[in-house]
Amino acid sequence: MSATFDHLAEVLDRIANTSSRNRKLGVLADWLSALPDADLERGARFLCGEPVAGTGDRKLSIGHSILREAAVAATGFPIELFRLCHREVGDTSETIALLMEGKSAGESLSLAEAEQAYLRLFAERKTALKVELLQGMLERMRPKTTKYFLKVITGNFRIGMQQKLVEDALARATGAKLAEVRDAANRTGDLAQVARAARAGTLAALEMKLFHPLEFMLARPLDDVEDLVEPESWWVEDKYDGIRSQVHTDGGKVRIFTRGMEDTTAAFPDVVEALVGLPGSAVVDGELLAWREGRALNFTVLQQRLARKKVDASLIDKVPVVFVAYDLLYRDGALLLDAAIETRRQKLESLFEGVGLPLMVSRQWRLSSREALEETFTGARIRGNEGLLLKKTGSLYESAKRSAEWLKVKRPYGTLDVVVTAAEQGSGRRATLLSDYTFAVKDGERFLNVGKAYSGLTDDEIRELTRLLRSISKERFGRVTLVEPKVVLEVAFDGVQKSPRHKCGYALRFPRIVRWRKDKEASEIDGLERVRELYERSLA
Amino acid sequence: MDLQYSSDGIHVRELDLWLDPQISKPTAWISHAHSDHARGYSKTLIGTPATLELYRMRWPEDSDQPQRLIALEYEQSLDWHGAKLTCYPAGHILGAAQLLVEFGGQRLVYTGDIKLKAPLCGAATEIVPCDRLILESTFGLPIYHFLSRDEARDEIVNFARECLEEGATPAFLGYPLGRGQEVAYALGQAGIPLAVHGAIAKFLPDYERAGYSVPGWEPLDSKQVQGKAVVVVPGMRRLLEATGKDIRIAYVSGWARLDNARLRAGAEKLIPYSDHCSYAELIEMVSATGARHVDVIHGYTEAFAGILRERGIHAEAPAYARSRASEEEGVAQE
Repeated sequence: MSATFDHLAEVLDRIANTSSRNRKLGVLADWLSALPDADLERGARFLCGEPVAGTGDRKLSIGHSILREAAVAATGFPIELFRLCHREVGDTSETIALLMEGKSAGESLSLAEAEQAYLRLFAERKTALKVELLQGMLERMRPKTTKYFLKVITGNFRIGMQQKLVEDALARATGAKLAEVRDAANRTGDLAQVARAARAGTLAALEMKLFHPLEFMLARPLDDVEDLVEPESWWVEDKYDGIRSQVHTDGGKVRIFTRGMEDTTAAFPDVVEALVGLPGSAVVDGELLAWREGRALNFTVLQQRLARKKVDASLIDKVPVVFVAYDLLYRDGALLLDAAIETRRQKLESLFEGVGLPLMVSRQWRLSSREALEETFTGARIRGNEGLLLKKTGSLYESAKRSAEWLKVKRPYGTLDVVVTAAEQGSGRRATLLSDYTFAVKDGERFLNVGKAYSGLTDDEIRELTRLLRSISKERFGRVTLVEPKVVLEVAFDGVQKSPRHKCGYALRFPRIVRWRKDKEASEIDGLERVRELYERSLA
Repeated sequence: MDLQYSSDGIHVRELDLWLDPQISKPTAWISHAHSDHARGYSKTLIGTPATLELYRMRWPEDSDQPQRLIALEYEQSLDWHGAKLTCYPAGHILGAAQLLVEFGGQRLVYTGDIKLKAPLCGAATEIVPCDRLILESTFGLPIYHFLSRDEARDEIVNFARECLEEGATPAFLGYPLGRGQEVAYALGQAGIPLAVHGAIAKFLPDYERAGYSVPGWEPLDSKQVQGKAVVVVPGMRRLLEATGKDIRIAYVSGWARLDNARLRAGAEKLIPYSDHCSYAELIEMVSATGARHVDVIHGYTEAFAGILRERGIHAEAPAYARSRASEEEGVAQE
């Protein structure tokens, strides 16, 4: 007898309805521990938003439009009504589940049946038949179950349940040690397998699986040099302004994964060709950079490589790329996460011994004192890099963690006071709030848009700002509301580049909101000449 | 009957009767005491006894603006300029009523804000057969489904108990007239100690007199919330959270049907219970009254009128603007 997806839906609903991590954990662990073995694997997989096991790079290929088509067919509601409802709800799975209320047979669905359904959806390549299959499922199952059945497909529950919580619950449900569950999950990238092994007590036997990305270790920002404890016990490296990447190699096979866990191998054939020559097997943490004449080029240049579907010789020539290696996570069968940084570094250096461009190893040295930091920082900027990374002596590779043992020293390229000219509804939990802001600088009497930012404010501030923006709205186009230029924000950014996207001809890189300047009026904001000045400075 | 819609309200021309006018008029029917319906100093005011009493608390007697208040009990009729006016329960809040106007062989029903399913507090709504129906559509999209009163009571009480067991303070957000008292009633009847915010508490005696007693409630002191459930207006949330206590917020509202209400209201627990009709209740209302002509006047008017037309009913969404009073659920909350 298989456990039901209906029960899983109830569990997820309870998790959504409490902010207490402990309660979420309890509910989830109770559910997991009562599952028979086969269902434990399915349950763990579904909780990670993975409908089908072992599909590698292939996806279910079901997006909003297929889901919408199936829902329109199953409910008989016109598509305009679906759109209106979706705009209110902000989430496709939830919209469909709500619209199916009272329109389905309300049959129970087991986890095994759900898996079968996902497999059929996966196997079917024709869109029309995917829609038909989905429609049949919608008409059959309970609407409350539908919501989460679809969320497994779309891969985002948005209920405050991170993978860490699932790992935690698995440990509690099986009696395994949390650290061992997390380690195994990282090694294998397969929580279903981990769940089974955790219950069987065989976690230690799970071997590292290459060619699925491990979680990256992240650095915390060091805002004030004075906050640095024990200045003499840190390794220093330049902080590069490229694409953080993880390279997997094994006897000629190479894959490059980015922070977003995307496989970006195809964009860098020149780097791959060099990596093929590395001996044995390895997982290397590092950075892809555009590089010419001994120094890193602006990130904008690297972007030209990413923008192209096909990378040919002329592009490789125009935008030469290097891979700067700075950490080693795995080597010839041994996972090195728990080895000290010095050990990993030494193995890294020996792996890359004798190789030349486009591969290199990041230069690393010991910080001599707090006072030396400023000068070192300036040096990094002169070398074309973003700032510095400090790595604690003796530290381990804390996968998936923003650790205090890695510190990044960087300063925003600049800040501007800008005015909000338009705001857009967010998605998910921010669906009904105006949380994305288009902002402008002054050009004489006009305001010219120069960027868009959506992070940096607290939820309370976003709520308050939404009310204010609604009260000064001029016009609305779908999700976008044009507003009177009244709200002044201070934004920080990492660079200025030329861009046809905005009327002013420039765009800011990584703009984020520093604060809401309630004390300033639109007439006091920065002008276009300031943007131009910052751009010129970046070229110098 | 000749109905005219304007920003002043709905005017039944032949009878010179205004339905929920926004400004003072010679004669007004007030469907219930929410401030976007009962406002101003109309010369003659017709409403249920409970509505008139609640209205007076907000619009006290003013000797410069003499008024005649005509109380009409549920099921009672009144002859008015050759028409017969009869009032029926609407289930929305204490005293809420629909008005049946019989004139010239035609039956017109004005629902005001209405809830078809039985509420926690107040009389159950009656279906009044009619030719023409003026219906609100606050939740007139097929995504809005609500808990029954029993389900809502269980959710409210269970959430409060869970929080209290963990040493946290459950806080329920509700607007001042209607929802706040219903939540307090559910908690009080379950024997849960509770503190009620002043804006809500001032109407509790009216509810208690009507038979909905809230045993053991006390006025809210935000410094003394440990071991109690608190019932507050949404604006109090941040003040409560600023106490540094473990405050767990529940949002009881029709808008709580959508997960995005969690961020909108700043709540962790959503309890989708409304004092308006759900989509299905609206559809049921229309079909059970037998009305062939429906005017849809609030909320998703265009969309809902379109849905009715698909069903072969002559439905319109007349241009009509009611004042925005943020305390009421009828106004989408930010």
